[in-house]
Amino acid sequence: MTVHTVVGRQGLEFTPREYLRSGCLRAVLFALMWWTLTDGVMDSWLVGTPVILFATLASVVLLPPFSWSLLGLVRFVPFFLWRSLYGGVDVARRALQPRLPISPGLLDYRWRLPPGLPQVFMANIVSLLPGTLSVELGANCLQVHVLDERKDFLSELEKVEQRVAAIFGISLPLSRGGE
Amino acid sequence: MQILYFALALFLLLNLVAGMWRVLRGPTAADRMLAAQLFGTTSVAVLLVLAQAMNRGALRDVALVFALLAAVTAVAFVRRAWPDREAKHDTE
Amino acid sequence: MTPSDLLSAVLLIAGAAFFLAGTLGLLRFPDVYTRLHALTKADNVGLGLVVAGLAMQAESLAGAGKLLLIWLLVLLAGASVAHLVAAAARQRGIKLWRR
Repeated sequence: MTVHTVVGRQGLEFTPREYLRSGCLRAVLFALMWWTLTDGVMDSWLVGTPVILFATLASVVLLPPFSWSLLGLVRFVPFFLWRSLYGGVDVARRALQPRLPISPGLLDYRWRLPPGLPQVFMANIVSLLPGTLSVELGANCLQVHVLDERKDFLSELEKVEQRVAAIFGISLPLSRGGE
Repeated sequence: MQILYFALALFLLLNLVAGMWRVLRGPTAADRMLAAQLFGTTSVAVLLVLAQAMNRGALRDVALVFALLAAVTAVAFVRRAWPDREAKHDTE
Repeated sequence: MTPSDLLSAVLLIAGAAFFLAGTLGLLRFPDVYTRLHALTKADNVGLGLVVAGLAMQAESLAGAGKLLLIWLLVLLAGASVAHLVAAAARQRGIKLWRR
């Protein structure tokens, strides 16, 4: 699996072929969605086909193609499911204990991901992972509210960022270590 | 299974009611906004369980619409309906 | 009760437990940020388990897919709403509770 660098791949630098490829892929995804939404009823495709075509067109116009990696995505899914389950267990445990073991705080996490979709994606993921909630998506930093300041969230966030980068086929600058 | 489904739906509904206490009490507008989050998940779960219990597939579509509306409501509230300054509670 | 029924029941009850924890957190946690933690994470896991339990009972693959789609949608909406409310609360100067 090749990893593209993101430098110079922002904006409108995609070839018509890339547009076509991403359009086809999205059409397949929308078709799959239509199939599940209509419980697989065959008659519905009369309406479904134009809807899928329109949705594909709209999606390509609104969100130009971006580089991504299937392997990165496949690896991300079990990681996310496991960590978000742990996130639920963690917060449930804290809510159930009579002495309420939380000591919240704010921290700024300096971005290594490029702006745009990767940052927004990570900000959303962070809110579902154990003990973190993204508060502000800044240009340089992601402000994160943590449930327990005593934990080492920096290395955890770095790990998440690495995983997110893998989905978008981005190679990150090396970890800065503690900061 | 049928009994379990209905018991579950009732339990989730009670959760929703208990959560409403926080929504009504506040104290900040943001706490009230948690209603969107609460309904976005709990009511979807209730509808899905009821759809299975009563064998009404249409309720799943209602759940889908609820999930969508919860997000839209929250965006609308944060952008438009929330006054720029918190009047008296908890401000720095 | 078949084994799959049993597993499905276990998942559903576990899901309900997470909803209870989420509600408890909502009532007990001291400020809007910590309440968002509780509600977003616990309820999403709760819904995920309920969806998994129900998907085992679905008659068709499309039916199970629809449940999965609903969960993903709620996940996306939940994460975005949590971020929006937290960001707006911060902008309007709602204080952070500290121990």
